[in-house]
Amino acid sequence: MKKFLTKLLILFSMMFILIPLLAGCTLPGLTSAQRNSDSVRVAATTSTESQILAYMISELIEHETNLQTSIVNNMGSASMMHEALVRKNADIQATSFNGTELTGNLQLPPTKDAHKATRIVRRELKKRYDQTYYPTYGFADTYAFMVKQATAQKYHLQTVSDLEKVAQQFSVGVDSIWLNHKGDGYKDFIRYYGFEFKRAHPMQIGLVYSALAANKMDVVLGYSTDGRIDSYHLQQLQDNKHFFPPYQCSLVVNNYMLREHPQLKSLLHRLDGKINLHTMRHLNYQVDDQLLEPQVVAHQFLVQHNYFRGDK
Amino acid sequence: MAHLNTWQQLIYYYQHNGLYVWEQFSRHFLVSIYGVLFAAIIGIPIGIYVARNHHLADFVISIANVIQTIPSLALLSIIMLGLGLGVNTVIVTVFLYSLLPIIKNTYTGMSNVDANIIDSGRGMGMTKWQILYMIQLPLSLSIIMAGIRSALVIAIGITAIGSFVGAGGLGDIITRGINATNGAALIIAGALPTAFMAIITDTVLNFLEKWLQPAALKNS
Repeated sequence: MKKFLTKLLILFSMMFILIPLLAGCTLPGLTSAQRNSDSVRVAATTSTESQILAYMISELIEHETNLQTSIVNNMGSASMMHEALVRKNADIQATSFNGTELTGNLQLPPTKDAHKATRIVRRELKKRYDQTYYPTYGFADTYAFMVKQATAQKYHLQTVSDLEKVAQQFSVGVDSIWLNHKGDGYKDFIRYYGFEFKRAHPMQIGLVYSALAANKMDVVLGYSTDGRIDSYHLQQLQDNKHFFPPYQCSLVVNNYMLREHPQLKSLLHRLDGKINLHTMRHLNYQVDDQLLEPQVVAHQFLVQHNYFRGDK
Repeated sequence: MAHLNTWQQLIYYYQHNGLYVWEQFSRHFLVSIYGVLFAAIIGIPIGIYVARNHHLADFVISIANVIQTIPSLALLSIIMLGLGLGVNTVIVTVFLYSLLPIIKNTYTGMSNVDANIIDSGRGMGMTKWQILYMIQLPLSLSIIMAGIRSALVIAIGITAIGSFVGAGGLGDIITRGINATNGAALIIAGALPTAFMAIITDTVLNFLEKWLQPAALKNS
């Protein structure tokens, strides 16, 4: 019986010695999401592009400074990411589109002028939330209607207006956030283009492309930067009435982070204007079609460009 | 990659992202272990206590039962409101789900120890504490361990959902698989290690249980 007690003791002491060892410091081993002076938390949504950029920021910081980083991954939407930053659950927002920011998080009227939108967003984010809105990465992501090549040929579809004659028979698959967007959502689309589809199916944005490819939908609203446009050979329809404003993508930082770690400011500026639409689509393609992890793609991209050290 | 079939894609994926998968694997493992460990530290004493105070048993176990009936995504979101995003939220969720199997099994194990044996222990002049660790715990060990085992298997499943509050882990890979073009390979790439982890930990705990079992009980 004594033996049993000894065994039990051995076991417990092992647990208490081993697990902290295994774990590193406090609870971690899990770079925790608790606020901590020498760690940076980068928020990303479920979209591939957001995750690639988050890992890129995270690796850039870890490689060039002594700070630790963690990714707060798979946020359901842009507003959830925004909320995470405001409540200090995260420090950097990997992707922020000026249009979404303007109408969604700031609740301001939409504008079709991208530069003006950026100006307003930068000013308001600073004033209301003490955040810095960085210059764009260099690409803009807009919503775009797309159909299969075969459909496009059959109905002679090239522009969004061409959809009007077939809209009554077409089901459309759209991003669930877009349905209720203010200013450029579905309601505004109906008013602007003057027709509506047979039925609009809200779904997660990642699913619209495969829904189209599997013939579940006739037309979908996807992102213009998506790598799957190439891999499924989809036909993007031209937005001939310029309904969708170009959404320029930037990163957003909580200012306390920049105050605590001034070196971050110039470091993050290294990504300004470095990723154009073509590059982004290619990076997305590597993840979505070539089965590479966003982390791996981000790493390769940074190494390839020597962490953008050239322009400090 | 469309020219490869799912299994070839899977192998390709592991070849190119091995390190990443390993990182997520250990993270996933740690989150589950922490949750269950805390639940064991709290749950086993509670189980022992209610076994001695039977009138409390129904109350305590029904509370644990109620926790168990809340869908995991809902519980995760509720806790997220308080704790914010990240791993700690998931650890607390795992902790809460692990309480029921651990408390319930400890309680059952302790109260099923033959009263005559306890009586003879008392007759030999054992203290309450001695009866606990010399008689009750060894005899109910296999049942308590069974509780911890099922808690751990449940925990590994719940941690996978934790990726929705930004905790990372293998759930990240599965979530990406859902979003990707040909996600089948990715979903399997995330799910396979998860299942593997559950099997491995269950086996390890099984050995542990056998090792802890008092020699006198081993042959029976």
